[in-house]
Amino acid sequence: MDPIKDFKTGKAGVIMALDDASGVEKLKHAVLDDVLYNVVHQLVMKVHRDEKQARATTAATRVEKLASDASETSTPDSRPDVRIETDAAIYEDGKVMLKGNPLKTTKEILCPRCKLPRLLYPTDGKGARKPDPSVIYCKRHPYIEKPGHDIYGQTWVAPGPGRGKKKKDVEKAKQAAAVAAGENVDSPGKSPVPEQRPANVLSYPSATCVKCKRCILVTRLNNHMGSCIGNSGRNASRAAAAKISNGANGNHSHDRTPPSSQKGTPAPGSRAASPKKREASVMEDDDDGSEASNPKKKKLKATTKKVILKAKPMGGSPLSGMKKEKVKASSGLSMEQKPDDDEKSVPHQTEILPPKPKKPKAPSPAKKIKLGQPTSTTKIVPPPMSSPATTRRDGDAESESSGTLSSPPN
Amino acid sequence: MSTSTSPKNVKLKAPTPGNPMFGCASEHVQRLFTQNQEVMSNAITHYKETLKCIFDQNPMLAQSSKPLEGGQQFTNLTPLYLCLQCTDIMDEGDIVKHAHKKQHRFYVESQTGTLYCQLCDDIVWDPTLEELRIRKIGTGSFATSRKRKIEEISNDPAKDDPRHIPNNTMLAPCKANGLRGIYNAGATCYQNVILQSFLHNPILRNFYLCDGHRSNDCSYQHCISCAMDDIFQEFYGQEQTNGYTAANVLSSFWISDKKAFENLVTTKEQDAHEFFQFLAEELHERNRNDKKLENGGEHSCDCIVHHTFYGKLQSTTTCQNCQGVTNATESFLDLSLGLENLAQKRGKKTGAKPPSLALQECLEEEYIKQDKCEYRCHNCNSMQQARRQTSIKELPNVLSIQLKRFEYKQGRHDKACKIDTPIQFPLQLNMLPYTDTARNQDVKTSFELARACTYELMAVVVHVGELDTGHYISYCRVGDQWFSFNDHRVELANKSDVLGSQAYLLFYIVKSIS
Repeated sequence: MDPIKDFKTGKAGVIMALDDASGVEKLKHAVLDDVLYNVVHQLVMKVHRDEKQARATTAATRVEKLASDASETSTPDSRPDVRIETDAAIYEDGKVMLKGNPLKTTKEILCPRCKLPRLLYPTDGKGARKPDPSVIYCKRHPYIEKPGHDIYGQTWVAPGPGRGKKKKDVEKAKQAAAVAAGENVDSPGKSPVPEQRPANVLSYPSATCVKCKRCILVTRLNNHMGSCIGNSGRNASRAAAAKISNGANGNHSHDRTPPSSQKGTPAPGSRAASPKKREASVMEDDDDGSEASNPKKKKLKATTKKVILKAKPMGGSPLSGMKKEKVKASSGLSMEQKPDDDEKSVPHQTEILPPKPKKPKAPSPAKKIKLGQPTSTTKIVPPPMSSPATTRRDGDAESESSGTLSSPPN
Repeated sequence: MSTSTSPKNVKLKAPTPGNPMFGCASEHVQRLFTQNQEVMSNAITHYKETLKCIFDQNPMLAQSSKPLEGGQQFTNLTPLYLCLQCTDIMDEGDIVKHAHKKQHRFYVESQTGTLYCQLCDDIVWDPTLEELRIRKIGTGSFATSRKRKIEEISNDPAKDDPRHIPNNTMLAPCKANGLRGIYNAGATCYQNVILQSFLHNPILRNFYLCDGHRSNDCSYQHCISCAMDDIFQEFYGQEQTNGYTAANVLSSFWISDKKAFENLVTTKEQDAHEFFQFLAEELHERNRNDKKLENGGEHSCDCIVHHTFYGKLQSTTTCQNCQGVTNATESFLDLSLGLENLAQKRGKKTGAKPPSLALQECLEEEYIKQDKCEYRCHNCNSMQQARRQTSIKELPNVLSIQLKRFEYKQGRHDKACKIDTPIQFPLQLNMLPYTDTARNQDVKTSFELARACTYELMAVVVHVGELDTGHYISYCRVGDQWFSFNDHRVELANKSDVLGSQAYLLFYIVKSIS
């Protein structure tokens, strides 16, 4: 046990005992130091594994792609009978051999699935770096860590305590938008357009009630189902109360009960019946004329319609990413998206303010923007003509949602 | 070394697209594996032996080495390296000397079983060996996946076609990763937190993504399992990053006719734990296998919910009069741990105001200590004092623990109150002490058993605020990264955020499935 006396620290050499410390004291320090070494060792091991395997996979993916490009056969699964050599790997007989240490030979990381390079830094928030606008990246991005934003850089409607949007809320949002814009680029298009939200604000969508098939804003869905399915909502209790006190003055109070908001979405003209909604929707009404300059509405339309689509048929809906027997619908989706991209690029140029966070990517074609911006998928508006949802629904959804958009979640 | 090496099932991992054949440059591992069959099988067999030594035996073994110059054997706390080609164990500094002397190039790290290549001067991740290592850590054995059951073999020739799956499925987009928020549909945060904990439960995820519940063939109206299937498809198969509207779950919930949960179905805020029970029972109903049910009832159900969440408790009651012992077994969906008594006891002892408890203390109180009760003894045929002891007979794959923060104070008009006592819970939990195996035998030296009882924290449901006006948020782990889910908001979370939260429900997943 003599050697212990010589040690006043462990392998890491960070936690030191004093020179005149007792033997036990030195041992304690050495043990603690060794434990610290182990913690760091295991962390390094994990990061090393992730990184080295990603690089090795990248080297293999690249050389395989070269091999399949070089071979004549068009079948994707077959192993082409060629020999390809890169700086990092050799392809031969359908096998890939590494050349040297992939940590040294391979600099970037390719997504093994889509073969596109991975973006290695978040685009916003902590540790953000500007992506190279000339590169098409894999759509899986590092998560964003930024206060007030989610992992995709999206923000959300603040759940204020009041009803509807108050004046100061609007101003706050404006400020926030200005700050967000200023952080990114001091672009010439920065001129403040007050009633615009940033492009990536999540708003509340609507969903279809299973029973009555009406389109209900999500924040009200539970209450709606309570009254529609569960028969326990406000109306039910009021009806019961009215029944009980029917003899005396029940009739009178019943008259004053306003028609429930869930009941039959009112036609756009009749919206004035609900004063709360009115207040909130003033903003949108102002620039109703220019459809393209109102991203909020577009977004709503897109999301709402999506939900309707899903709720209708269980079978052939395109939501079945990896499901068997649903492929036709799913593969059709990629075809649909092409016209969308083109469609999108038009409004994108006309609206000047919201795409500020996207500015770094602006010079690239529209397709790239779609790749880079996490939220832009929600922004894609399928051409209204081809939309499978009926116009009546669409209109309903719009009036319902835009009116209550700024109402608190609950 | 390696005298009796049977060369059976020793083979290299077949090449797969996107993966190199060997872990390091063509010079090293490849030479070891392609020299001749004997060298290769010796290397692989010895690697397996080394892994067994590291993971199944006393860690002292792999952590002890003799200096090359000779002298006393000593045990290290920090990693050592086990030579793959002989039996020597050495520390990092001696590798080069050993390699020069014996021309041995490969060394296995003594704590994680990873392979170090002396020529590369780096840890290498060879696909063949790495698969063995992962399987050893994951299941405790090297055996490949079990054989298919008879029911699983379809007699549809179309489905046996190897192209059947690639032809009928498409890869999920790279962006789809299962991380989305769920909109609050009006005081439904108690549902959202449970849904998120299900969505990031690997066992349930694999079940649904493997077509475990075929919503196409499901004839049940407003089936909640179909609704779950939809969510899984949406979360893991679509590129959307906005929130999800769980309309189908909500409507199935409203339409459900489960009498036990009638009180739950309101537009008011509810208890997340009750919703968890509701969802588990409802999914069990929809996925149950009726064939099995006939010969044994609930206990032998092999539905996904039972497979995931259910374990068994054993309570032993000893009559104080005749010393007669009665055993009773019951299955459980979750473990409910009372906090109040323990917190009060602690408060008295230390006098401090908010005592902090450890999860292990609560478990100990419930599953190690005995308590006294009155019980009707069959032998004595009368009411007797008895000692009762409960322990866990069968651990589930996903252990759900409820910390009873909401307690009804009796006598005071049944008013409920919230217990704010902080509970410290670990990222990794050893459940072995609370099992009946640990009660009946000494388990200190059974490292394999300890590994089978090791759980890792997977999801935490947190209640913030007061009893009736609170809000639920949850934390879920995806890989090694924690995320916080607050309705439709998904943010990155630190481990310290998670561990410092006032947990209400804890979901632990077993570390290795054997």
